[in-house]
Amino acid sequence: MQTLIVQLQLLLAALGALLPLVPEKSRARIGELFDLAGQVLRVGDAAARQADDLAVKLATIRADVERMALDGQTLTPDRIDEAFERVRVASTAFRKAAEA
Amino acid sequence: MRNLLRTIALSVALCAVPACASLEAPRFENPVEAGKTADQKAYALLASYAAVLEEATDLVRDPNVPVTVKRALVTAESAATPAAETLRIALVAYLRARADYEAIGPDRPPHERTVAAFAIAVVRLDEAFTAARGPLDQFAALAARKS
Repeated sequence: MQTLIVQLQLLLAALGALLPLVPEKSRARIGELFDLAGQVLRVGDAAARQADDLAVKLATIRADVERMALDGQTLTPDRIDEAFERVRVASTAFRKAAEA
Repeated sequence: MRNLLRTIALSVALCAVPACASLEAPRFENPVEAGKTADQKAYALLASYAAVLEEATDLVRDPNVPVTVKRALVTAESAATPAAETLRIALVAYLRARADYEAIGPDRPPHERTVAAFAIAVVRLDEAFTAARGPLDQFAALAARKS
């Protein structure tokens, strides 16, 4: 996904070099469209990076749970508290980041 | 002018084709479906939620992400985290009660076992209700803000 976005960003930059060839009256409008496309790509790039990381984390958790299921393991309250501690830490970091 | 724009549009399309062909959308595993028992599924849900929250934190920090997206994430988090905490409380109460039931001697008479089971349920549920007061208050505050 990130490869696609990088390629589109490069393409946009290359097309930006053609802007001087566009007649003066349309140049500003096309420049605005390029800016908008650039913004969309930047947001897409951020989301794609997070999506890739999330896919890796979910795969790790799934492997962990599969192992538990295979072993017929019953979880202890401590293990649940440990899992929730990660939620608590992530929630605190999230709220701090949202306030900033 | 029209021809120039057409040429640009065609260049964009042609250049995007190989990129689109090589596009591999990330595949999201579902850890919850891998669990066989209620506790394994609940653990998978908590761990997955923590992972989602970690990625959402990076999105919220990113200056390129629009404010509306960030606001939507903040609203979702304020409802989902108390729900996750309620799940943890219920699950811990269930696991402790189950361990207590299993510890009741099998040689004890049925009426004693029933009384012991009842006592366990009362104690563990009371603990769960007390612990859940915090997240439930957060839900109430959220509902009051919406109305």
